Amino acid sequence: MDRLDARGVPVVRLDPADLPGAVGLSGEYGQGGLRGTLSAGGRRVGLGALRSVWVRRPGVAGSGAPEASAWLTQEASQALYGMLRGSAARWMNPPEAAYLARHKPWQLRLAQECGLPVPATLITTVPDAARDFARRHRDLVVKPVSGSHPQDPPLVVPTSRVAPDADFDAVALGPTLLQRRVVKSADVRLTAVGDRLLAARKEVSPDAAPEDVDVRFAPSAQAWRAVGVPRSVAAGVRGYLDAARLAYGAFDFAEDAEGTWWFLECNQSGQFAFVELDTGQPITEAVASWLARPGPER
Amino acid sequence: MRMFALDYARPAEESEVTATPAYRYDPLLQLNVLDDGRIAARDRALLRELGSTTSTAGSKTHFDD
Repeated sequence: MDRLDARGVPVVRLDPADLPGAVGLSGEYGQGGLRGTLSAGGRRVGLGALRSVWVRRPGVAGSGAPEASAWLTQEASQALYGMLRGSAARWMNPPEAAYLARHKPWQLRLAQECGLPVPATLITTVPDAARDFARRHRDLVVKPVSGSHPQDPPLVVPTSRVAPDADFDAVALGPTLLQRRVVKSADVRLTAVGDRLLAARKEVSPDAAPEDVDVRFAPSAQAWRAVGVPRSVAAGVRGYLDAARLAYGAFDFAEDAEGTWWFLECNQSGQFAFVELDTGQPITEAVASWLARPGPER
Repeated sequence: MRMFALDYARPAEESEVTATPAYRYDPLLQLNVLDDGRIAARDRALLRELGSTTSTAGSKTHFDD
């Protein structure tokens, strides 16, 4: 927002939860096509003048209304996204692309198709399949299939090293994602903004415990440092973004001792400030630049 | 018996969610601002303190604006 303001680019910031209410929306389909306006916080934009839409963890449409209901959410969501999608604006990211891109099992397959190395992975509800996978790969991690966490009660499920004596019977109670543990020398976060690829690397401490698998939870004094992107990875990432129709993606890789970057996941709405603060990489500026660029989609 | 992955779960930390934010949303500017009116996103120390961590997927703190 601040960067767009500095460029003199008009911005309307809104939360779909506030529609109806603080957010106003009106569109008429007539002989001239669709003419409409969107307003919030005293600002207004014509749908025809909209150059880009940045979707950043939006609220559920209609959920802030006094008479909120599932039906109102459907109505508000269809009206807002349907009309916005009917504009010529470029999206970071298109909602339907974002929806698919959140599916981690789909991510793994797409990464394979794009030539990015993916650690051997099993997603299963069959205990015998899990045991067989464990016999073949021995050192495993487990992580949520969805990337989300239980809320009742609130828990976090970090990517965790599977205990050597694990009993896989409980796999039958819910889909379980098991993956060969990459003995990593570093974590890599690659932030893709349009055509720009900005990668950062966080070295694993020599004294790190093998159980400290998840960089989000592992204690570390190391900082993120900017790193170049190997040509093959860049090609794979660009192929991934094209196939997924994403303008933004935060890719996580585990780098092994040979320097191979193993694809772990791509978060289509991943945070980037923590990388920018450590590395000074101009990610915010890249996002603002992409959003400010005039011109129709693709 | 419970789902396999839950054997590796731990309680979520709630401190960042319950703490009083050091900023507020200014609807006219459409930006988060500090008490003295400065734009919060320009305060690198604050970013580091409040919003610079890697997502812990469940975190309610986002500060990328």
